[in-house]
Amino acid sequence: MILAATELSSYLPIFLMIGAALTFGIGNVVLSQLIGPKRAGATKGIAYESGMNPITSSRKRFNVRFYLIAMVFLVFDVEVVFLYPWAATFGNLEPMSNESLLWLLRILFFLLTTVVAYLYGFRKGVFRFD
Amino acid sequence: MFYFENILKVLVIIVPLLVSVALFTVAERKILSSIQRRRGPNVIGIFGLLQAFADGLKLLVKETILPSSANKALFILAPLVTFFLSLIGWAVIPVNEASVFSDLNVGILYLFAISSLGVYGIIISGWASNSKYAFLGALRSAAQMVSYEISIGFIIINVILCSGSLNLSAVVLSQKSIWFCIPLLPMFILFFVSCLAETNRHPFDLPEAEAELVSGYNVEYSAIGFALFFLGEYGNIILISSITVLLFIGGWLFPFFSTLSGSLCFSIKTFFFIALFIWVRAAFPRYRYDQLMRLGWKVFLPFSISWVIFTASILSCFNWYILCFWIFLILYLLVLICFLLVSLGFY
Repeated sequence: MILAATELSSYLPIFLMIGAALTFGIGNVVLSQLIGPKRAGATKGIAYESGMNPITSSRKRFNVRFYLIAMVFLVFDVEVVFLYPWAATFGNLEPMSNESLLWLLRILFFLLTTVVAYLYGFRKGVFRFD
Repeated sequence: MFYFENILKVLVIIVPLLVSVALFTVAERKILSSIQRRRGPNVIGIFGLLQAFADGLKLLVKETILPSSANKALFILAPLVTFFLSLIGWAVIPVNEASVFSDLNVGILYLFAISSLGVYGIIISGWASNSKYAFLGALRSAAQMVSYEISIGFIIINVILCSGSLNLSAVVLSQKSIWFCIPLLPMFILFFVSCLAETNRHPFDLPEAEAELVSGYNVEYSAIGFALFFLGEYGNIILISSITVLLFIGGWLFPFFSTLSGSLCFSIKTFFFIALFIWVRAAFPRYRYDQLMRLGWKVFLPFSISWVIFTASILSCFNWYILCFWIFLILYLLVLICFLLVSLGFY
């Protein structure tokens, strides 16, 4: 479907807002660079680790749980986004009609798959953080 | 002429927003100090009102220190991303009837997208700093925000079901007969708690646990980088308070006082939530990390998914979700009793 011109024009303010926010942020950084003192030193540039000299780089392997959380997040977030258009349409349907019942049953099946995924993750210990 | 008018509108949104962020930090320090029976800032300006502007000026004229082991470009980019994302969400917030900068039909989706992007600023800063504290803080913070975002998504679906629109003005107008916080009371409470976790505030401020991580992902930042992070975080708090007001507390609507200006009602309600954020900070101890993740994944997520099914079923069976809130009152009591029994069984 082609978007109507009025609908497209409601995106213009957002682009203006993005431009203004970027201008303000970058302007502040540049201003601070111009005003602020610049006295670099070898010890001054060391990463702060409570007075210790940093031993190695911090870009090493880290706990795999965070990676699992990211994957599960992807699954559920995509499902949430799938539900948005359904919810906006379903709210306008006539209650007690066949149509509304059909839409409900469809989404109940969809949510059932979500619940199965959730239970699988639960049994596998994805959500255990102790 | 058209562009001039729109640019003026942008300034009318951004300048008061930045001033209110500044005053918010003063208000936080004042309220916290009153709760802890101290004076708080009271030297600069009347009652210390100009304290925030003095702090901002000082941060502007200080030196930006770039750590030698950091990735310079990303290090400078990260605070910009956080700040920029906290500002652009305001384009779709309606403060009064027909006074919104961009009346987007997918306003809620837009806000959801913006809040999802918020993780980037934190991840970039933690990785670019190349410091252990910053890295661990960023990991924790990202995992926490991502976890609570899902329950926020499911909670918002309840609101969309009741209003039948993704446009924020339409959501507010559909609350004319009753605010959604009454028929959706449990979801409202869950939403507020999730917002606390989403903005990394107390009692979920694990990334900034001073005793463990000094200051979390922004340890290495000084001067304007720190100021932009700070502005971004507090701007996000104000943004999310106003989203709560729009979705659950009826935006600019106010029963019995129809003569009151709509934008005034909106700001009073928003201020109420901001004050609640500060109060929670003073009153509650910090959660442990495993408790936080357990709450998000094992309590909030199943509860919000089941409430989506519940709302949808009720909507397809009854003519009026809104007028049968007496039924829900009884159901709440039942749920409450179940929760009490479950929690008694656990501990």
